[in-house]
Amino acid sequence: MTLSSPLPADDPAAASGSQQGHANHTLTGFVIFLLSESVIFLALFAGYIVFKMSSPVWLPAGVEGLEIRDPLLNTVVLVSSSGVAWLAERCLKRQKLVSFRLWWLLTMAMGSFFVYGQAVEWLHLGFGLGDGIFGSTFYVLTGFHGLHVITGILLMGLMLQRSFRPGNYDKGETGVVAVSLFWHFVDVIWIVLFVLIYVWQRS
Amino acid sequence: MSSSVSFDPRVLKTPQPVPGAPDNWKRFFSFNTDAKVIGIQYIATALFYLLVGGVLAMIMRGELITPAADLVDPSVYNGLYTMHGTVMLFLFLFPILNGFNNLLIPPMIGAPDMAFPRLNAAAFWLFPVFGVILMASFLVPGGPSGSGWWAYPPQSIQNPLGHFINGQFLWILAVALSGISSIMGAINFVTTIIRMRAPGMGWFRLPIFCWTAMAAQTIQLVGLPVLTAGAVLLLFDLSFGTSFYRPEGGGDPMLYQHFFWFYSHPAVYVMVLPVFGIFSELFPVYARKPLFGYKVVAIASFGITVLSLIVWVHHMFYSGTPQWMRNLFMVTTMLIAVPTGIKVFAWIATLWRGKLRLTTAMLFCLGGLVNFIFAGITGVMLATVPVDIHVGNTYFVVGHFHTVIFSTITFGIYAGIYHWFPKFTGRMTYEGLGKLHFGLTFVGAQLNFIPMHWAGLMGMPRRVASYDPEFAFANVLASLGAFLLGVAMIPFILNIVSSWARGPKAPPNPWQAIGLEWLLPSPPPAENFEDDVPTVISGPYGYGLGKPLVENEAHYVARALEA
Amino acid sequence: MTNLSAASAGPLRPRTLGLVAIALLLDGVASLRMADWSHQWLPLPASAAAPYVDDLFALETGIGTFIFLGCVSVIGWTLLFNRAPKYDMDDGDPIEGNLRLEITWTILPLVIVMLIAWHAIRVSDTLATLGGKVRVTGTAEAMALANSGAESSRSVAAGSFGPIEVIGRQWSWEFVYPNGVRSTELHLPLNLRSSFHLIATDVIHGFFIPAFRLKQDMIPGSVIDYSLIPTRVGRYRLRDSMFSGGYFSSNQTDVVVESEADFQHWLEQAARQPLKPGYNEARRLYEKRLAEGDRGWATVPPAPPPLVHVSTNPAAVHVS
Ligand code: HEA
Ligand code: HEA
Ligand code: CUA
Ligand SMILES: [Cu+2]
Repeated sequence: MTLSSPLPADDPAAASGSQQGHANHTLTGFVIFLLSESVIFLALFAGYIVFKMSSPVWLPAGVEGLEIRDPLLNTVVLVSSSGVAWLAERCLKRQKLVSFRLWWLLTMAMGSFFVYGQAVEWLHLGFGLGDGIFGSTFYVLTGFHGLHVITGILLMGLMLQRSFRPGNYDKGETGVVAVSLFWHFVDVIWIVLFVLIYVWQRS
Repeated sequence: MSSSVSFDPRVLKTPQPVPGAPDNWKRFFSFNTDAKVIGIQYIATALFYLLVGGVLAMIMRGELITPAADLVDPSVYNGLYTMHGTVMLFLFLFPILNGFNNLLIPPMIGAPDMAFPRLNAAAFWLFPVFGVILMASFLVPGGPSGSGWWAYPPQSIQNPLGHFINGQFLWILAVALSGISSIMGAINFVTTIIRMRAPGMGWFRLPIFCWTAMAAQTIQLVGLPVLTAGAVLLLFDLSFGTSFYRPEGGGDPMLYQHFFWFYSHPAVYVMVLPVFGIFSELFPVYARKPLFGYKVVAIASFGITVLSLIVWVHHMFYSGTPQWMRNLFMVTTMLIAVPTGIKVFAWIATLWRGKLRLTTAMLFCLGGLVNFIFAGITGVMLATVPVDIHVGNTYFVVGHFHTVIFSTITFGIYAGIYHWFPKFTGRMTYEGLGKLHFGLTFVGAQLNFIPMHWAGLMGMPRRVASYDPEFAFANVLASLGAFLLGVAMIPFILNIVSSWARGPKAPPNPWQAIGLEWLLPSPPPAENFEDDVPTVISGPYGYGLGKPLVENEAHYVARALEA
Repeated sequence: MTNLSAASAGPLRPRTLGLVAIALLLDGVASLRMADWSHQWLPLPASAAAPYVDDLFALETGIGTFIFLGCVSVIGWTLLFNRAPKYDMDDGDPIEGNLRLEITWTILPLVIVMLIAWHAIRVSDTLATLGGKVRVTGTAEAMALANSGAESSRSVAAGSFGPIEVIGRQWSWEFVYPNGVRSTELHLPLNLRSSFHLIATDVIHGFFIPAFRLKQDMIPGSVIDYSLIPTRVGRYRLRDSMFSGGYFSSNQTDVVVESEADFQHWLEQAARQPLKPGYNEARRLYEKRLAEGDRGWATVPPAPPPLVHVSTNPAAVHVS
């Protein structure tokens, strides 16, 4: 993630003074990146919908459907972690570094809980990646999203570690803003995925 | 503007691209974050791959000069044309256009560099990586991918030898990496244009090249992710046993076609838009007139961007697409003729009653424009469903797109090279060699690509290693044209190499052009205007209007001459 | 020349108008000639669809020539008369735009392409070659469906022949007639609508007959309905048009259009022939490759040639 690189020395514009500061570039660039990234998911959603509506076969033999209770719990945790991340960000803006770290850590914990829950679910399913179009779409979609969750947690860890550099976050930190933006993005994607995969049943 | 003259140590780290100085060459082989160095790195590497793709094309044309498959085995022919298309698009065309973006965008808008210089360098260094990966596929057992640059499943996922590392696998890897590199580039270019323009440079004072770069890079941001999704699913089908595109598991090969063309159609405008930019920059300079209808030409670029995203199904008219969908996409496709026409007519009007200077760059622009009108018209024919049903997947299509991709886009790139070479190397090129290059290329291109249209109309399918004898005459002509194009490369290479080594020194503004980049010394210093960025006070292309482009223009002209 | 440029600066003078009119007239005549000529670039038309396609193509050639010559003449004019003399460093006329002109060249192309599109839609509706499409999971299911579909709602319009099953393989064609006759050569009755079920068993293939001006992809996992009317007796080429791997270029066969009586006779004769492996060019090339040491890049081996009553004659001469 070179995108969130905060080293100001990297940016000549910051030195020249005739252009706007570096922080703005980073956020602009990051938002553009997120928009572009969301298109990948849009494409995968579209593919999933087409398959679900038109495939001559859907569930593999012997598979009834998906258990929804545990994933629902998982979903609640992940979605509420977005709110927690927002709290953390607010603390940072008010210069309350310690409570920032606490909320931030809680967000990471909730994210990890989600990944753990997902892993447990994967291990107990009665079908695999190679089991027809259902297995293929299920694992690739949830897996690709899971990869984003893990990336998000790692980035948060990086931001947390940086908060220990003295004075580093005195003026707020674009990296934190960017990462929590990323986190909200990952959550929204999950809500759509949850609806598509678990709530919408194909007879 | 508070400009305190302070010593910036970064200038030392990124010396300006002056050729000849002994330690200077190393810079081009290092992880350098200077956009001008990266630009030249891109262009030089891409030109190398033009030769690679060209040599593949020469072998193909050698095979096709006779009806039988006698020069190479059909399986080898399939690999050759697949790699030819892939190399030309992903290792020549996209990278060289990124090179132009790197060289031109910062100086044109008065920025010292790109918004994210390290991201920029990282994007570049992915290029040799996926270049090597793609070339390595020649060496793996079974040879490179032989499924065309479309890589349509199920054919592309057949994997005859069953190895995990195979040509198709490496092909997907290379294309995916190229996509990542392009997205990194796109984020950089768009951010730079949005945020780093010189004081006073509003949107309607932005040079058209930057408009078209914005329009093209927007397409990359919207389209590439879809291709990436499609390619990842293809990789899973090929290597991990999924059934996205396998009917036996409930999948559908048609979905891949939609993913692929959703990006790869707009991709052709990613390639052509910057060349529209080059035409729009060069015609005013060499016709000594303002660009006709500047604002409309600028906006039309985004018209093309928007339309390009809703026409992809015209590559699938014969794929079982229902009639209503064919009709819909025929109409949207045809609409593209309107914004494109606006540009074409604007260029012609720019020439009208100008004072034409027929330099090499101008000749390539004029030739490219004529070829483009021809290719656009065959494009509209292809967009017409009943006609496409006949000529689709024949050499008519191959003729159409080489007339754009080679006879327009590559012409535009040559024009750009001849035009900006003095600016970025500090040396002039030789006009005589340049004109020879143009003459051979123009004649060769017509001889090569016009007979292809005829072969296609008669019903010769594309991607064949052998064909029925009735197509022989057209193919002999095409092959002769192709060999002439090979010969045409000689004066070009000679010109570029010798001019760079010992060409006459270039003044800051050899063509009396108007534009921020021409207010800089040749070659420009590492950070262009550094702290002394001019304030723009009028629109571009003010030829004959007598208005200065920037405040205190004389100061900048004098400074550039001193350097 | 100075005269002329002065003239076009002000309101149009009769002399300029006259010149423009002559130019447009010449352009128009040339375009008509090209449109006429364009028919000869195409193979002999042999289906009901062909004349429509050819006329549409001729229309586009005409319009295209008009636009191309128009633009190129103006460019040529500027090359002849607006060149800067060698040491002339002056600028040209600083014209920045002309609203009326710009509106004209936006509206005019819009109208032209929309008219072409409208006309093309009507042609497509007239031809009505493409039928429905049904998704299946495999070749076995496809064949079952194609056979059962013959009498069902997906069946064939009155007064037509078929459905003929068209089976695409790597790399051979197989045609199965309603009476069970199998052939690697497609025989069709003259002036009758023949209908097809298109099936691909392995990868995508393209059913393309240039003399008919028709092509349609065959997609694994789908059964596609198709129909056409041959209008000229003769032997034509049928080519695979969608790249299908190794021996793609050899995946060709012939279409034989016969009078209805001849066709019926052929069907009856064919039914009496024994089943034997059809002629297969891909097989021949592949065996040659193996004999030469299997050099070259990877390809799947050709499927065994289908067992048919009638095989293609590789020496037969096709019209186009
Ligand atoms: C790289 C650049 C490029 C450009 C700019 C274009 C431009 C266009 N292309 Fe082309 N095209 C390709 C590259 C390009 N194409 C490639 C690479 C393929 C094949 C890929 C593959 O299969 O491997 C392809 C294939 C292709 C097909 C698919 C054919 C098939 O496979 O069956 C179609 C069909 O609609 C098509 C149409 C068009 C149209 C309508 C335009 C329009 O944009 C053209 C618009 C321009 C003009 C019309 C001229 C100027 C306008 C005027 C002077 C105004 C007046 C004009 C009129 C009123 C007509 N193209
Ligand atoms: C940028 C894109 C680009 C460019 C520039 C070209 C350039 C050329 N292309 Fe190609 N082409 C494609 C993109 C491009 N092509 C694509 C996308 C396809 C489709 C692939 C597919 O179907 O999947 C294709 C397919 C294609 C085919 C059809 C193959 C088939 O369907 O069977 C043919 C056939 O003639 C062809 C020929 C040529 C020729 C003769 C040139 C000439 O212009 C090349 C000119 C030659 C040179 C520029 C270099 C010559 C160099 C030398 C002779 C060596 C000198 C060396 C030294 C001095 C060291 N190309
Ligand atoms: Cu066989 Cu395509
Ligand atoms: Cu297209």
